[in-house]
Amino acid sequence: MSPVRILSTLGFFFVLFVVQESAVSLVHFPISGFSLYLAIAISLIAFEDHNGAIVTGFLAGLVLDLSPTSNAPFGQWALILTALGFLFAVNRDSISDLTSSPITFVIFVAGGATLSLIAYLGFGALLGEENGSFVHVLIVLLGNLVWTVIFTPMFLPALERAREYSLTARER
Amino acid sequence: MARGGGNRSRLLLVILLVTALFFITLDLRGVSLTKGSRSVTQTILSPVQRTVSTIFAPVGRFFGDVKNFGKTNAELKQELAQNKLLKGALAMDADTKGQLTQLKAVLDLAGRGNFKVVAARVIARGSASSFSQTITIDAGSSSGVHPDMTVISQNGLVGLIKSTTSTSSIVLLMSDPSFKVGVRIARSQSIGVLSGLGSTEYSLVLLDPAGTIKAGDTLLTNGSEGNKPFIPGVPVGAVVGVDNSADSLTQTATVNSYANLNDLGVVSVVLSAPTTAPRTPLLPSPNPTVTVYVTPTPVPVITTVPTPSPTPTSSPKK
Repeated sequence: MSPVRILSTLGFFFVLFVVQESAVSLVHFPISGFSLYLAIAISLIAFEDHNGAIVTGFLAGLVLDLSPTSNAPFGQWALILTALGFLFAVNRDSISDLTSSPITFVIFVAGGATLSLIAYLGFGALLGEENGSFVHVLIVLLGNLVWTVIFTPMFLPALERAREYSLTARER
Repeated sequence: MARGGGNRSRLLLVILLVTALFFITLDLRGVSLTKGSRSVTQTILSPVQRTVSTIFAPVGRFFGDVKNFGKTNAELKQELAQNKLLKGALAMDADTKGQLTQLKAVLDLAGRGNFKVVAARVIARGSASSFSQTITIDAGSSSGVHPDMTVISQNGLVGLIKSTTSTSSIVLLMSDPSFKVGVRIARSQSIGVLSGLGSTEYSLVLLDPAGTIKAGDTLLTNGSEGNKPFIPGVPVGAVVGVDNSADSLTQTATVNSYANLNDLGVVSVVLSAPTTAPRTPLLPSPNPTVTVYVTPTPVPVITTVPTPSPTPTSSPKK
């Protein structure tokens, strides 16, 4: 990834983060909340090539770590999403192209979001964080999974078009 | 080439993972750089959140209002007719009135306890990407708000101030799994620890092995040294279920909070509480019962005045 691309990605993630923290988090979703940030970040990770996925994951995590409401130490999300980026990079062939198989893509994004939350919980537990009762955690995970499956197809085509537009001729 | 690319990927992965672990270590060791970055983010976010909250609040409640879709047609028609008249003029008025009602109630509670409070509006809720339960309010250090201050609503305890900027503060809600507060049972004066579970229910562990809990018991905050983070006597919740298992040393119970944390519009931050007696506990006032006085009204006497029945008039025969 070029330095310009890294900066533009970082800027995009920050804007997305502001939208998530200011607007999306105000919506009282039934079951549990929805993280638009995670869904878009994981979609972008899935679009990227090997190195791009890892760097995008790291950048997305770094911005998410800025959340003032988070109890987790700074860097926890960066660690989780970098590892997830690597996981997506090595399984890239299975994810397939968005245009050829959108359902598989949505399932991968929703699964990735849930997996990242589970990893976040697991790592947090190792650091002694308290995350509530098992039932509560299960509801949060299930709610996020459901909302990601519902909302991802709505923004995915626009996201893909915006990404293509942002790529330089060489990167294409 | 492929192997070279793979090695580069792995090297990149290792570098980024080590960087992330480095940040975590710095944060856990209390380096101010990481905490400062979050404070800067909050300073940037709070004006945006304040603006978005004003515009976006009715949209945010959309899903909560979905349950009202089951109304009958007649009711809906009536509502629509009323809405037509009131739309526009009352759009903002309703929101303001709701907040005013909450504000009056919370100031009433603060007044009863002689607390010095600062009222604040809720401008954001905690992110879905973390499991912490927080709200952001539009009062910060410039209003005298500092970390570890008690936050109350009209019905009782809400949480405590986690962090502040000059114009906003983050409140750790009492439902957060990391939240713990010392409480005392109003009836028996036994003390215990109440913990958040991330949901609407709370867990109470009694510290006194001989103490007893009953369903319906009222819980009040026990208070902290120097009134930080908790002032004493604030209503917390009521016991709804008692766990009488024989294997536990002390009694545990399930508690429901008095404050509805999903419906917070206005809250108050307690800046100071009375330090001298009497520090009257703010026992929740019982729900007002409606007393209907029926005074017999004199039965109206219906007097029937016989009206002359129309008699057919016949024209005189000529």
